[in-house]
Amino acid sequence: MECLIGIRFKDYVLLAADRIDARSIVVMKHDEEKFVSLSDNLLMAVTGEAGDTAQFSEYIAKNVQLYKMRNDYELSPTAAAHFTRRNLAEYLRSRSPYQCNLLLAGYDKGTNTSHLFYMDYLATLVELPYCAHGYGGYFTLSTMDAYYKEDLTPEEGLALLKKCIAEISKRLIVNLPTFQVKIVDKDGIRNFGENDGIVEARKLANSS
Amino acid sequence: MSIMAYNGGAVVAMKGKDCVAIAADRRFGVQLQTIGFDAERIFRVSDSLFVGIPGLATDTQTVHERLRFRTNMYELRENRKVTPKVLSSMVSNFLYEHRFGPYFVEPVVAGLDPKTHVPYLCAFDLIGCPNEPEDFVVSGTCEEQLYGMCESLWKPDLSPEDLFETISQALVNACDRDAISGWGAKVYIIEKDKVTVKSVRTRMD
Amino acid sequence: MASASERYSFSLTTFSPSGKLVQIEYALAAVASGAPTIGIKATNGVVLASEKKHKSLLYDGTSVWKIESINPYIGMCYSGMGPDYRLLVKTARKAAQSYELMYGERIPTVQLVQRVASVMQEYTQSGGVRPFGVSLLICGWDDDKPYLLQCDPSGAYFPWKATAMGKNFISGKTFLEKRYKDDIELEDAIHTAILALKESFEGQMTPENIELGIVTKDGFRRLNVGEVKDYLANVL
Repeated sequence: MECLIGIRFKDYVLLAADRIDARSIVVMKHDEEKFVSLSDNLLMAVTGEAGDTAQFSEYIAKNVQLYKMRNDYELSPTAAAHFTRRNLAEYLRSRSPYQCNLLLAGYDKGTNTSHLFYMDYLATLVELPYCAHGYGGYFTLSTMDAYYKEDLTPEEGLALLKKCIAEISKRLIVNLPTFQVKIVDKDGIRNFGENDGIVEARKLANSS
Repeated sequence: MSIMAYNGGAVVAMKGKDCVAIAADRRFGVQLQTIGFDAERIFRVSDSLFVGIPGLATDTQTVHERLRFRTNMYELRENRKVTPKVLSSMVSNFLYEHRFGPYFVEPVVAGLDPKTHVPYLCAFDLIGCPNEPEDFVVSGTCEEQLYGMCESLWKPDLSPEDLFETISQALVNACDRDAISGWGAKVYIIEKDKVTVKSVRTRMD
Repeated sequence: MASASERYSFSLTTFSPSGKLVQIEYALAAVASGAPTIGIKATNGVVLASEKKHKSLLYDGTSVWKIESINPYIGMCYSGMGPDYRLLVKTARKAAQSYELMYGERIPTVQLVQRVASVMQEYTQSGGVRPFGVSLLICGWDDDKPYLLQCDPSGAYFPWKATAMGKNFISGKTFLEKRYKDDIELEDAIHTAILALKESFEGQMTPENIELGIVTKDGFRRLNVGEVKDYLANVL
């Protein structure tokens, strides 16, 4: 039901996540934050089993921060992604696997490259230009296939992301009224777009 | 639906005259949704030794990492390269160690013996039962189609060029009849002192 | 509160103020007072020879052996304490088998020696144990080459062309240094090994009170009493 979207461009990455927190058929919260910052230039978006998402993402975030304190330098996005995968993969075959799907967006200041990683609850790690978790994927991948170009400006990138969100709002039966959009680039992690990065999905769908 | 077919993908390997070839498609998907087009399922173990690991994508990655750990430790400990036979033994043991909670992969080992340069092929099921035929091995979601293609195209003592043509045709046509593999292919032709890697296009849908 | 067994399970092998590990030196002393063992590497094989002195006329010297095979291509002998040796033989055989099970091919001699040596090293650093009172001579044949290695209680191991261990090992080594040639052949090496044993042998040498083992390209085997008798007849 939940939805995460990520698009990687030449020197920045956009992530969008819906803000719904639902238990079975009841929506408990409309402003749920599904992002966790791992470091200055590393952002994770998580969905899945309620407790697991918070528990696992926090565990990874704290360990990435601990690594930085111990070594005086940071894990690269690639290294952090592998670390996350290793952990999730080991939990997968334990008595208490974590059930969370996540996207990892990062900007590597060492090599000046942006990265987007897709990882599902089975700990399948793939680096991709664009991807989505949840039912949103069925409605957005084709849009991104058609319009994605690596060198779009952040404004053009946001427009593409909004196209995707509009499509979800229009065609998916699940009600996801708002999305939070964040950008990761060399300057760090920020909410991106007007209204502090909060996209009103229904309005977009009506005007498209 | 079988967990072996959750992500899709196929690997085939063939013997030629003084050479072997191993090839895999490049799709990464989740059930029927295609997500990536540049999946790697074939990994280099040493100069003329490769392992292809089709199956559940997370286990492809885990098994590759754990095998790499073991082959690296072997090479450091013994100060020599792993041979195809040794790798096969390692893969078989590794998989059987997880007999009652298996990794959902069916690996394929292909390479030349580093000393004698004799071609070697071996395929495994998910708990490590080895199969060492004299002609070709197939594995993955379009195994049946691959058997049909290999059965009709393969001949003994193919040259590296003919082997490339044969294995490519086998893989491409098998993948075209499988909804969850395809999206291009990568072919490795392994000869005594050279390995050629070629990208092959398939139906991109 | 630590239990009684925990309190005493520290390593007894501790450094002396001068930087020595006296427990290991004592273990080496036990080896140096053990029965002599000779090993010689020839171009086409290796010979192991060992003295098996009988304490009594009633002793039956033909049913227990000091030279043991570890796998079809590796043999082993010792100077020092017999019971400790048999534990290492068991460990070595298991190491050889588990290697073969894992990699589908025979364990290289050097690999086996490293594994046995690491067990011996563990016994110098673990709590509640003592070092082994044996030095091992291990011979093997792999990839068209003979191997001869010695393994000490400390876990140190040495590749030799020829060596002597146990009682009078210094004179044994001096003898071998004089006799050894790089192009020595196995038959010659067997004679030399018997002569080296004879140097310090008290009393009459018989096929019952010495043992010989050889490894060649065809594998390792202990020579039977008849063969030893023939060699003795040639040498003496």
